[in-house]
Amino acid sequence: MLAKLALQSLLDRKGSVMLSLLAMTVSIFVLLGVEHVRHQAKDNFSNTVSGVDLIVGARTGNINLLLYSVFRIGSPTNNIRWQTYENISNNKLVEWTIPISLGDSHKGYRVLGTTKDYFEHFSYGKKHHLAFEQGRQFDQVFDVVLGAEVANKLGYSLGDKVALAHGIAATSFSIHDDRPFTVVGILAATGTPVDQTLHVSLKGIEAIHIDWQHGVKIANSGLTQSDFEKADLQPKSITAFMLGLKSKMATFQVQRAINEYTAEPVVAILPGVALSELWRMIGVLENTLLLVSILVFIAACLGVSSMLLASIRERRHEIQLLRIMGAPPYYLFLLIELEAFLITLLSCVLGTALLVACLALLQDYLVSHYGIYIEINLLTENSLHLLASILLASFVVSVIPSFSGYRKAR
Amino acid sequence: MAIELADIRFHYPDRTEHAVLNIPLWSLKTGDQVFVHGPSGGGKSTLLGLLSGLHSPNNGQVSVLGQRLDKMTNRQRDQFRAANIGYVFQKFNLMPYLNAIDNVLLATQFSQLNSSNDRTKEVKTLFDGLNIPEKEWHIPCRDLSVGQQQRVAIARALINKPQLLIADEPTSSLDQANTDAFMQLLMPLVAENNMTLLFVSHDLSLSSYFNKVQSLGDFNQVGGINHAS
Repeated sequence: MLAKLALQSLLDRKGSVMLSLLAMTVSIFVLLGVEHVRHQAKDNFSNTVSGVDLIVGARTGNINLLLYSVFRIGSPTNNIRWQTYENISNNKLVEWTIPISLGDSHKGYRVLGTTKDYFEHFSYGKKHHLAFEQGRQFDQVFDVVLGAEVANKLGYSLGDKVALAHGIAATSFSIHDDRPFTVVGILAATGTPVDQTLHVSLKGIEAIHIDWQHGVKIANSGLTQSDFEKADLQPKSITAFMLGLKSKMATFQVQRAINEYTAEPVVAILPGVALSELWRMIGVLENTLLLVSILVFIAACLGVSSMLLASIRERRHEIQLLRIMGAPPYYLFLLIELEAFLITLLSCVLGTALLVACLALLQDYLVSHYGIYIEINLLTENSLHLLASILLASFVVSVIPSFSGYRKAR
Repeated sequence: MAIELADIRFHYPDRTEHAVLNIPLWSLKTGDQVFVHGPSGGGKSTLLGLLSGLHSPNNGQVSVLGQRLDKMTNRQRDQFRAANIGYVFQKFNLMPYLNAIDNVLLATQFSQLNSSNDRTKEVKTLFDGLNIPEKEWHIPCRDLSVGQQQRVAIARALINKPQLLIADEPTSSLDQANTDAFMQLLMPLVAENNMTLLFVSHDLSLSSYFNKVQSLGDFNQVGGINHAS
């Protein structure tokens, strides 16, 4: 009966209740969204790369190198010469290397030129290696291995032909359509930027740029497939490379050796350090966002409270009536707390639903433009804790109007 | 005795110099149907508040149905009121947004007597007895006519079978026809259930329904004015 009374009395005051509900819903949406994205982004970040000891690229900022080599965000400042790559790979402390060549794309997804070592040594999350959903590694010059999402979103399957585009825009005017690639493998989903990448051999990258100059196709030269097989497709430069060491103990030694390499300005970064540096940078923004959303939520709580407080004045006859029927003053306290609880609970449901809907709509966009994969599932321990805190906070703030109702009833 | 007051003095906390009630001695016998009249502002509502346990006297003894209200805790008074006293106001007798049935059921929530089982059936019987048509049972009470609202109010006051019914100007919002209908409905019910009725109004024309008529000034000697003769 108490619940019915609370519900009916809220329905009776639709106007002001709806406004409070709306404010509360928006604030919970924002708070939950910021918190969810925060945790997802952090998980994403720390899971992007593992088992790689050093990343080497042309001299630039640590974070910039990390962004373009691992996250495929932004553009590399400069390439490094093949000779440099060879020299460093031959260091006796280096166990393996993965060369990376970037700069082309397919429908907005980045193309990564690399070697077979990529499939063998690259790992993510808790040292998971890449696995094939279908097919195999690239073998021929014009073979391509797709990330899970590329295959999924663009609807490719094994054997399909794919034309790569020069540059990284989603709509490129210079498409290497004269030399299409064949899909030979599709990787299992990883939840990292690998999913959004097309992998080809370094030779493939070289081949599509034969008789291109300064990013412009010169003429259709009429070269045939066999010409490419025979041609010298040795790359002259690559964008960056990842390396693994025989012993972790040597990490700093090798890093220093690379940073002091004199033939060309190169830099080696520790991915873990760069990741946490990047995270710290984002962390400031992230904490500010969280703070702002908490303030928005408190404002909404106060809004609900003041709405209830104002209602007590107009409900003095109801209070008097309840009292004469024998309702003790704490009944009034409970009634008003329950009304606040109902508003908050409904707002939680609406806010969560709104967030799920928004995430579902934005997921593709976030992935394709920022390489951030956000889970839609909100039922994480974190979100549930947050929702519980929201209910608790609204309970605490509603003590003000509830106590006023209690006092009125005495 | 249904009501016994002795040495009662009452003033509101914020107006200590202004005494509202000063009743040396006043009582009602069980089964009495008493009409008390007096001018507005004469302390009628305060007296009813005292008898229902909403107010506590500054001084004196309040005994209702043989129990000393002035010796009870607030909680005990609330429970006593819920179980033993029916109350009808001039208006605002009902939660405007609840329907008639829920309004009456609400009143069953606060008495400890069999509040757990479903008493909807009881409510319907009561409504039938009060000639409240079934189509009006399920619409919000604010949409009922004033006369109909007062009938539902009687049902609400009677649902817990109180021994004492207090009516505070219950007909003042009604026109003559509705007032007569209300009185003709109420009086037999009170007699049937052997309830003590304390009916307060400024409308002396209603006194014909009662076997005992008193003026509040007769026993409330506030401000040195003594109407007792």
